[in-house]
Order: sequence, then structure tokens, then C-alpha cells
Amino acid sequence: MESPRVSRYRIVSRMEKAKDHVELILEAPVLSRAVPGQFVHVRTPGTLRRPISFSRLNPVRGEAGLLFQVVGPGTAWLAGREQGDWLDVLGPLGQGFPRPEPHRPWCLVGGGVGIPPLYAALTAWQDDVTSSIDAILGARSQDYLIMLDDFGAQIDHPIEVTTDDGSVGGQGTVLGPLAHWHARHPTGQVYACGPTPMLAAVARLMQTSGVAYLALEQRMGCGVGACLACVVMANGPEGPLWRRVCHDGPVFRAEELIWS
Amino acid sequence: MSLEVRVGAVRLANPIMAASGTFGFGPEYQGLVNIERLGGIAVKGVSPVPWPGNPPPRVWETEGGMLNSIGLQNPGVEVFCREDLPFLRTTQTRVVVNVIGRTIDEYCQVVDRLEAESGIDALELNISCPNIKEGGMSFGQDPEHAAQVTRAVRTCTKRPLWVKLSPNVADPGAIAAAVEMVGADAISAINTVVGMAIDVKRRRPALGGISGGLSGPAIKPIALRVVYQVAQSVSIPIVGMGGIRSVEDVVEFLMAGASAVMVGTATFAEPGTMEAIIEELPGYLARLEVSSVHELIGAALPGR
Repeated sequence: MESPRVSRYRIVSRMEKAKDHVELILEAPVLSRAVPGQFVHVRTPGTLRRPISFSRLNPVRGEAGLLFQVVGPGTAWLAGREQGDWLDVLGPLGQGFPRPEPHRPWCLVGGGVGIPPLYAALTAWQDDVTSSIDAILGARSQDYLIMLDDFGAQIDHPIEVTTDDGSVGGQGTVLGPLAHWHARHPTGQVYACGPTPMLAAVARLMQTSGVAYLALEQRMGCGVGACLACVVMANGPEGPLWRRVCHDGPVFRAEELIWS
Repeated sequence: MSLEVRVGAVRLANPIMAASGTFGFGPEYQGLVNIERLGGIAVKGVSPVPWPGNPPPRVWETEGGMLNSIGLQNPGVEVFCREDLPFLRTTQTRVVVNVIGRTIDEYCQVVDRLEAESGIDALELNISCPNIKEGGMSFGQDPEHAAQVTRAVRTCTKRPLWVKLSPNVADPGAIAAAVEMVGADAISAINTVVGMAIDVKRRRPALGGISGGLSGPAIKPIALRVVYQVAQSVSIPIVGMGGIRSVEDVVEFLMAGASAVMVGTATFAEPGTMEAIIEELPGYLARLEVSSVHELIGAALPGR
């Protein structure tokens, strides 16, 4: 596994992926060898870096993609970067997804800006999975839905889409289609990333059978496990304990976590 | 040029240390920071038993700084001695253990337990954390309480004892003088400044702990004023901290009366901050036409 370092990488392309969502592709051989689900901490003008998961990892071209939502001044600055600009990046950081089991049906479930790391996982491991591969993507509305075309180029059957307002796909959340998928594939493996309430619901759904890995988001300080800011409650050998999203995660097995 | 300084009996290869709470227990930044280059590291606060800390969110960025409400989560002194000290003993850099408690007795329990252990160069008594309900900052609020806890700990150990002060008081100089009277060997100043933020999307306080401690460049003027005032109130050395991110910041703290400094929040954005400062310090001193760090300590104080 690549050990984290601070380095500067050149932006080789910039794409508007949806309303308030931008993807930057970096020329970054070191980062391109990261594990899907790992993330980087990107320097912006503020006090703290911004944690962003990899949207693509292409070790052949030596490129890594970062897809983020503009939510404040830091990400607005980042969205203003252009092809040819350089980014100051700390990473790769954290524990990514495990390699999926080849014979288990595999479902990638992404909500909003949680979708990108699942695309990185899909492209890294789709050839390893001999069982079925499905994707369920959710967003607030059509304007905010990202990477449907990217997933469509990899998966040769329809991708389930849901939106809160029904502007594209089914109205509702990813939970509806996931419940159907789980009923058809009770021993399947689910990789999910999205808002915390969505992940809590995925964890509940998968309690009965199957396997689920969840990539979490939390307000983060150092990114390397030193400051203990980005904690989540998890099951420990002697009872509940805090685990660090940046260092112990961001990917956890669903049954490791305790939802309040 | 030698960058060596002394904080009482503790010799530092250079005046730049990592501040408690921002550098874990030492190994977290391995590969990103060469701790052998640092003057020292202050590890995260250690309590007698494990403390869970506060609910998340625990950090929130603000203009020119950040708020934290970690709440002194730590595994307790037993686990610290068993799992963290062995690594710390392998380093040549100075190790400062930050000590926390809810009562005077709890501070003493930690210090007593550490007496049997090697590899500790100084203790930093934390009577200034704003993020816990009992103990912590309440001991740092007035000279009498600060002296009580310092006096009690002083009887448990001969180790160099630094007392970390809060800026959230009317007269930090009086508190510094009170702990000096009962045997403190140095003053660390400052801890974070109490503050809060509102998350407008949730219509709630941004931090799980409601209020938190402000750190970063925004608090540097507050810290400098405390160091400058404390320097005129005590004769023991001062370790200055609060918003330091450049060699010029360090020199400001030295001139205000600090003998050494700690860097905290700046490490999060730039892990290389401390090493960069150490690299730049000799050239900066040369431009000021001084031949040692020592010549700058207190240079801005009245009568100098």
C-alpha cells in the first residue's frame, strides 16, 4: 500500500459533472495506485484541508480523479482550479474497500457525492467478480445526479436511479431498489457511500444476511489519526468505542458500527 | 548556528515543539514529520482512566482558525504506558506528557503512575482545556485553584513541571505567579480560546460539544499578549503557543518572552510546518544579527 505523502500534482482535466459537482483529474502516479475508498486531504486556502475520495484510479495512465461537491469557500476555491493548475495533496489516506468476493453478487449503492468512490471500486474490480454486478445511484434531483454515464459505460444492463423529487428514475431513496436487490440476492455484497442516514438504513437492511461495506464521511481535522476529530461509534472487544474515520476507515464493515 | 534552548532543566535541540492534542501520541505523523528534527513533542492529554471525549462533530473551520471539541478523548494512563511510551522512548526528541484530571486527586494519580516510567522529559499540567465539564479549565480559572493542583502534583514528582494556562481568564499573569510560587518549572501559554459556531443548515451549534476551543492564526494576538503579560509576572521560562505557522511568528513569541514554542493547528494543513521553521530559523536569526535564539527571548519586554 502506498504510504501517505504531501505532494503537488498537476490537474490534467476538469469536468463539471452536475450542478455544484466538479471532477478534477490529477497526473499522480503515486495516488493512482491507491485503493478505492481511500481518500486525499487537499490543501485549500482555509485552516484545514478538504477530505475527498478518489472517483477514478488509473494506474496505467498514472491518473487519479477527485469528484467533489461545492459546499463552502474551500470547495468553491477548488472548483475554480483549471487544467494545468497544481494541487497540494496529502495522501493516499485511510483504509479503502476490500477486494470483493468473486462469487457473491455485488451491488454498488451511492447517494449524492458518495457515488464517486463506488465508481473507483467498480472499475478496479469488475473483472474479478464473476457473479452479477449492479449499481443503484441516488440524488436530490436530476440536476445533482453524478456519474450515471460513467457507470452506464461499465455495466451492460440498466442502472437503478432514484431521486428525492422523481425528476429522474424512481421517486424516493436508494433503499427501495436495494431492498429488492437484497431480496433477490440475500447473500450478496453491498458497497455503499452516501449520507449518514442512508448508510444507517443500508446497515439495518443488511443485518439479516449478506455483507455490507460502508464508506463514511465525518468532519475531519488532521487526516492521519492524530487529532481524534472524525470519530464514529463502533463495537469494540469490551464495548462501544470511537473509531477514527480518517485512519481506521473511511470504509467499515456495516456490523462494526453503532448508529445512534 | 546552535538553535539549542533550555526550558528550565530541559534542554531542547531547537525551540520548536509539537503542541498537545495535535500530534497524537507520536507515531501518527511518521513518514510525514521527522520527529527527531523537532525540539520536542507534547503528547495528547492523559487521564487516570480512559475518557470517551465529546460527540461529533468535533471540529469546525472558522475564519483564520478552527474550533475543536474533542473533549480529551484518551485511552488512560495505563494504556499510554503500555502502548505509547515504548515508541516515545525510542526517540531522541524531548517528550512532554500532558496531564489531565477531573479532580486534584486524578491529576496526582496520573503523575504517580508515570513516576515508574522512563522516557518522559517533562509534564505539562493541563488546567486549561475548555472542552470538559469538570476539572480541566476550572482549575485554571483563578490563582488559588491553579496553585492547589500544582502544589499537589509537585509533591508527587521531581520531574520538570510545566503548567498550561488558559487565555479565558481576567489575569493570566496572576495565575502564572501563583503556580510559580508552589513549584511550577515553566508556563505553557496558551490553550485554546472558548468559542462556538452555528451550522445554519441544521440550525444547531456546529460542534457536538456545543462550544469548543478556537485555535489557529486567529488567536495569535491573544496568545502573544498572554505570553507578554506572563513574562512580566514570573521568572520561570515560558513555552509559547497559539496560531504559530511561520518563523516570524516564532520570533514574535520569543521576543514576547517565550523560551520555546509549540506548533499545533498549522500541522494539520502543512505537516511540514515545524521542520520548515527549524530550517529557516538560522537564516532569520542571521538577518536579525543575533547569534543565538537566547538573545531574542524577551527582547520586546519593557526595560529591554
